[in-house]
Parts: sequence; C-alpha cells; structure tokens
Amino acid sequence: MTEKPEEEFIGVNIVSDIPYDWAMGPYSGRLFREMRDNKKLIGIRCPGCKRILFPLPEAVCGWCNTKVADDWVELRDTGTVVQYTVAGMPVFDNRTGRLKGAERPLANVKLDDGPYIMHWLEEKDPEKLKLGMRVQAVWKEQGRGRGYEDILYFRTIGESSND
Amino acid sequence: MANRVAIVGVGLTRQAARRPEVNDPEMVNEAARAALADAQLEIKDIEAVLTNCIDGFDGIHLTDHWLVDGSGSYMKPGMKLHTGGTVGATGAIAAFNMVASGLFDVVLTIGHQKQERGNTMGTLCAAAPGEMREFVQGAIGAFAQAAVQYMANTEAKLEHAAMVRIKADRGACRNPYAHLRLGLKTPEDVAKSPILIWPLRLLDFCPQSCGACALIVASEEKAKKITDKPVWVADHETVHELQSEVVFGGEEEKSQEVASRRLYKRNGITNPIRDIDMAEVYEPSTWEEMYLYEHFHFCERNMGWKMVEKGMTEIEGKFPVNPSGGVLATNAIGATAMIRIAEAALQIRGDAGEHQVTRDVKTAMASGLGGTNWTTLVLLKRSL
Repeated sequence: MTEKPEEEFIGVNIVSDIPYDWAMGPYSGRLFREMRDNKKLIGIRCPGCKRILFPLPEAVCGWCNTKVADDWVELRDTGTVVQYTVAGMPVFDNRTGRLKGAERPLANVKLDDGPYIMHWLEEKDPEKLKLGMRVQAVWKEQGRGRGYEDILYFRTIGESSND
Repeated sequence: MANRVAIVGVGLTRQAARRPEVNDPEMVNEAARAALADAQLEIKDIEAVLTNCIDGFDGIHLTDHWLVDGSGSYMKPGMKLHTGGTVGATGAIAAFNMVASGLFDVVLTIGHQKQERGNTMGTLCAAAPGEMREFVQGAIGAFAQAAVQYMANTEAKLEHAAMVRIKADRGACRNPYAHLRLGLKTPEDVAKSPILIWPLRLLDFCPQSCGACALIVASEEKAKKITDKPVWVADHETVHELQSEVVFGGEEEKSQEVASRRLYKRNGITNPIRDIDMAEVYEPSTWEEMYLYEHFHFCERNMGWKMVEKGMTEIEGKFPVNPSGGVLATNAIGATAMIRIAEAALQIRGDAGEHQVTRDVKTAMASGLGGTNWTTLVLLKRSL
C-alpha cells in the first residue's frame, strides 16, 4: 500500500495590540498619585475590621464588606521578605505579552505596617537571598503614575529580622 | 442539595500541546459526543448546555456564540461561565445546581481550552495595574515563591517534588487521555529538566494543553433510567480569597482549608483519608500538591512531603491522589477542573481502566483551583 500524504493543517497567524486606559478609581488612584508625586505608600483603614486596604485600596473592604471612610495611613516602605524566587527563564513584558530578558528575583514582602507587596529585589545573587531578609523600596527618580512600576526594586537593608 | 443529582455521562478528548487537526467547535464536539455516547443519549435528550473556559488565555472571546454548533446548544437554554482556573468545576457545579433546583432534568456541561493559540502567560501578566501581576510572572512565579517557602518550613527536598512528578507520570502513562506521558523512572529524570523559576523545573509545573471534557448531569429519576452506574453528587463547595494576601503558601488560612472544613462537617467526614477513598486535586505544581494534602487535612500541616515519601497517594496506595496523572500531565485549563470531577466519577464507576485505583472507591473528592487561590470541591458517591 502506498502511504497517504500527511494532510496540511492551515493556521492563521494574527498579532494584535490591545490598548487599555485603566481607571484606577478614587482610592487606588490616590495611592498611585502619592507614589508618583511623593514616593510614598498609603493605605486606607477599614472602619469595620480595622485592616489596612492595600495594595489596591478601594471603596469597599474585601474582608468585611464595609464602606471605607477617609482614614488614610502612611505605610513605611520597609519590610521583610516572606517569599522569593529567582527567574531561570526569560520573563514576560506585561505591556506586550512578549518575552524579554531574565529579570530580577521576585519577592513577597510583608511591609512593617502589615500589608504585603510583591516586587523585584535588587540583590541578584541567589546565595545572598533568604526568607526573613530586610528590604526597602528604591523609588524611580521620576514617578509616572503607573503604581508599583514607580518603584525600581527593593534593596537589602540588613540581615534576617528573625530566623 | 434540593433534589438528588447524578453524573450519568463522562466525555474526554485526546490532549496535546497542539491540535491543529481540529478547530474549537470540533474539539468541543469531541467531548460532547463522547459524553453522549457514554450516557447512550442523543443531543435531543439534552435540555440545556453550558460551556466553560478562560477567555484571554487562548486569545479569544464570545466562545458561547461560536461554539453553538460544536456544543450542540442550538435553540437550547444555557450559558457560558468564566471563573479562571476553577471554571471547569464551576461549570459542573452550575449544572448540578440547575438540576438540583428541579428546573432541568438533563444538562450537558463542557470545559475546553486550546492553548496552542494566544498567550496565557502574557495575559496573566498584563491585566490589572495595581495587582502587581507585572512582577509575579504568571502562575509560575507565584507557585515558585510558595515552593521556596515550603522548603524552608518543612523537611521537603527537591527529591520530594520529583517523587510527586514521577507519581503523576506513572498515572499519565496508564491514561490514554493524558497529554504528557514521559516514562519517568528516577528523581534524576526530573532533575534533568531545566529550571523555569527556582525551584520549579519545567517538569515541576503543569503544561499548556489543548483538549476538552464534558459531563452529563441528570435528576434522580432520569439518572436511574439512563444508567446502571449513576455517580451521585453528595455535596459541593466554593471559596474565594482576596488578591491582597500572599496567594499561595503563606501563613494565612487558605481557601482550601475553609472549603474542606465546611464540606467535611456537612458530610460527617472526621478523618478524610479514611472516610474518602481517593481524590483528584488540581495541582498546578509538584510543590502545591504537597501543600494541598495539608490544606485539605489529608495530613498535618508541614507533613505533605511525608505522605509522598511513604507512597500513600500512589495508585496502589492507602489514599490515591490523581491516578489520572493530574494537572502536571494534562492541562487544557478550561477543562482541567472538570477533568478532576470526571476522573473521580470514573473511579467510582470502576471505569478508569488502567489507572483504576486498588482501593474500592465509594466516595471521591475532586478539587479545583484558580485565580487568587479560589477553591472548588465536589464530593461524589456511589450511593447516597
């Protein structure tokens, strides 16, 4: 029997740019303005459960569903690394969805005032990374109102707070 | 639940990284036809159709419009659901609720995803300024961070993650519907795979697959007419978390702990690995599977690795978990959480074939996981 030729399957290639104009709303918008203009982190305290709404302060508390008032609190930009990792592969550019070069280590930082923030670490040496290390935000010289992108990365400021 | 509900038909498709030989409606139709054939029903017997996927992950939208032909929903009621990674389970739970309410007697629900197209990781990273997705590098970064924390908090080593991967592969090699069937033998086989994000190697993380899964759900009266082996839906639960916490790992209470505690309490389950016979869990990474054992109270906190080391969750083990090969082997994401339910149902029927577990399965649990750690749980039984 003669072999049947393999069927060609047609795939249509499409590349599309999708522009966004993302409304941050009055609460997260105020945080983003504060980051851009004053290099400061702020959150809003829930009048119900007293937790600080951050990193996305909004009109309603997600934990207890209370409408927030105007109890803004400044958060120190220092904290402790509770999770981290090191990229071994090229990472994705969030603006294009395409790959870019390998990035800095990623960390989950528990800020000294309670809430968590996720960001890059300045320290790239895996040997020097550890849970519990103390870090502080390094802000970009010129904020652009892009929220957490106005922070460059978090810099090591000392050894573990606890072990 | 208001009225008794049973799964009477299960349909699975071949899964692969690319499936250029079919388009979306054709792939969805494979699952729908397989489920109808399993139930020995025709599309005219189906009263309503649900379709379920994550728009964006494969670069599409309005699938409910252009899947009418493939899903068989022409001139029928139904809807499309979209809840993130849990969507396959959400689509099943919605069908359970539709039948439990008494408004419908026979419902077809289909989970599907064709991930050869679009950019799942790009989508995960791009959306929502302020959610810090631009830093997290999609699901891989989040689960890698949790894995680092797990290693620090427990005695688990990279070898334990490799054992989880080998267990998954053993199941997948016996499952004709699994995507990756690799024949892994030793932890060294896993160690050879490249690091994605420390400590996750390529083989420690779920693949992107193309495939679909369908379930036919029926009321008690219909179910008894349709099949000799109805799989009864004893209960289900869904729990959401917030974006502002540490999503995976961390010290805070997890959605899995809350969901399973509620489910167990309502169903008189005091010792899950005794009272439940097997589980199909949604494990995006090897490390998350160890976390899930703990969060579902299969063992004490920080002891999940020990269950792996003892082989307790192997196909022949005391409490089998993911004999199908799980998400680590097969992950057409809109189908993934539904496949957990489908596989648990097949185990109860005794129809899982080569990957049927040794333990007699009268009760099985299926979990779903998605977005900021949302959990779905479905408890299935051979008899109520």
